[in-house]
Amino acid sequence: MEHAVEIENLVKVFPAHFGGRPVRAVDRVSIRIEPGQVYGLIGPNGSGKSTTMKALLGLVAPTSGTCRIFGADSLAVDSREQVGFLPENPYFYKHLSGAETLRFYGKLCGLRGKALDARIDELLELVDLNDARDRRLGGYSKGMLQRIGLAQALIQEPRLVILDEPTAGVDPIGSRQIRDLILALRERGITVFLCSHLLEQVQEVCDQVGIIFRGRMIREGRLEDMLAIEDQTELVLRDAPPELVDEIRRLVASADGAELVRAGKPRTTLERLFLRETVDRAE
Amino acid sequence: MKTLHRPLNPRRIGVLAFHTFTQLVRMKVFYFLALFAVIVIGANFLELPTHAAPESSGVELLYAIKNTSIGCMSLFSIVIAVVATGLLLPKDVEDRTLYTILAKPVPRLDYLLGKFFGVAALIFVSLAVMDLLMSGVLALRLGGVLEQQRAAAEAFGYPPDLIESQLAETRALGPTWNLQGAVFVVFLRAIVIICVALLLSTFSTSTLFTAIVGFLVVFIGFFQADAREAYFQGTGVLGRIGSAIMTTVLPDLQIYNLIDAVIEGKVLKALDLLKVAGVTLFYFIVYTFASWLVFARKEF
Ligand SMILES: Nc1ncnc2c1ncn2[C@@H]1O[C@H](COP(=O)(O)OP(=O)(O)OP(=O)(O)O)[C@@H](O)[C@H]1O
Ligand SMILES: [Mg+2]
Repeated sequence: MEHAVEIENLVKVFPAHFGGRPVRAVDRVSIRIEPGQVYGLIGPNGSGKSTTMKALLGLVAPTSGTCRIFGADSLAVDSREQVGFLPENPYFYKHLSGAETLRFYGKLCGLRGKALDARIDELLELVDLNDARDRRLGGYSKGMLQRIGLAQALIQEPRLVILDEPTAGVDPIGSRQIRDLILALRERGITVFLCSHLLEQVQEVCDQVGIIFRGRMIREGRLEDMLAIEDQTELVLRDAPPELVDEIRRLVASADGAELVRAGKPRTTLERLFLRETVDRAE
Repeated sequence: MKTLHRPLNPRRIGVLAFHTFTQLVRMKVFYFLALFAVIVIGANFLELPTHAAPESSGVELLYAIKNTSIGCMSLFSIVIAVVATGLLLPKDVEDRTLYTILAKPVPRLDYLLGKFFGVAALIFVSLAVMDLLMSGVLALRLGGVLEQQRAAAEAFGYPPDLIESQLAETRALGPTWNLQGAVFVVFLRAIVIICVALLLSTFSTSTLFTAIVGFLVVFIGFFQADAREAYFQGTGVLGRIGSAIMTTVLPDLQIYNLIDAVIEGKVLKALDLLKVAGVTLFYFIVYTFASWLVFARKEF
């Protein structure tokens, strides 16, 4: 089967500037993503995530190795037909309004006429920017820019979406919307390649995860496999009377070889608390 | 779908050019035109000291209008060609808008051509507006000048055919097709300068550098033909090659000087215009190709 993304032994060395040493930003990284999967790339700042994505889009040329999108080499323009890209910290043309921005990118992809109009309306609705559609981007907030960027990436209904920190600077409500959007994309069979520092979100949406450190791929695999602690089992009870808990403790103590590691109240996350107190209250 | 992504797709270049045009318009470049209007209309009211005979009075005024107008057009077209072109590319890199454009199926050559045609369209429209204004003012003034001259000549009792030939001479100083030709030559010169600025901005990332070097190249361009003559005179084949290389690397802007002759009322020959257009096309192809060579390898 054709891979959605196929990065093979990618090496990217940035030449030295002003007597500094050359930077080996990506070092023999290989990534394969099957169509329909959501792949999350995580790693510390400066570990080469953005560089890998740029190489995949042909924005930087690999020092060695190859990148392919649905079988087409990234250095060829054709490979970009099926891909949408949201760069990190995106800034778009400040003089265009939201709708004009989408129109511009849509036309670059060869869309036009009624189909383009309909697509623009649909996307503005999707990213919740309908109210701001005729405002110039110069007056958009960071989160709004991020959302218009996401809409722009989806304009030609690409089969692969590459998102470089899609939720950076977005409030928890917006970032939950983006998460839901990514899940909706997966639902429709669209491949997503993202990187993020919000590990909790990565955990929520990704099928596959790769951890990159100083340009090298350290761990890679299915999220479930990587996170499961093989020798432990979790029980979460609701409204359990203390006697029942004591009973379970006793049972565990009497069982052979089993051990109770921890019992107590699970905590909600700050994110869930924030959402419960803001959006869920409003609804 | 595949053929859509070959370079030189006119529709895609059109989209990029139109966008560049709007971008510049929204940067309020057209405010310059208001200033131009003030200058041209101001030149119209100049009371020039006249030393000419009464039957040719008013001629200086026509010269003055043309001189100031074409001078302003030249200045405007050169400044916009250097500054606007030099600004666009580094801005796209800085704002990372370039990432999003090149991440779409847009060949880099098309991107460059889009920028080129956007700036060229802006200059074309501006020159057309200025031309219209200049021609209007000239036509208005010419009528008055002709009447004045006829009255003076008749008072002197000149024979009618002499009067007619003199008036025809004056008419050649009005809004003729020649003059439109000269404005077109101003536009052609702007095209060469846009190409130079575009090439410069592909390897510099600073607007200031592009602007300064761009103006330097323009400045040299106005003198380089003389320099070439002084350097390579009588140096044989090698000299001719050197001279050819020099005119290719640094555009020779002296060939556009026929604008001045036209202001003087000389006839612009079709052959000369064709020659200038041919040279412009040559520079356009050479510089755009060079820009593309640099830009295609560029990383962001
Ligand atoms: N154009 C460039 N020229 C020189 N070095 C570069 C260039 N782009 C990136 N680098 C270097 O490559 C390394 C990887 O950068 P990259 O942007 O890929 O990191 P990242 O994983 O995306 O980090 P972050 O989480 O901060 O976004 C860094 O050390 C960076 O300094
Ligand atoms: Mg990054």
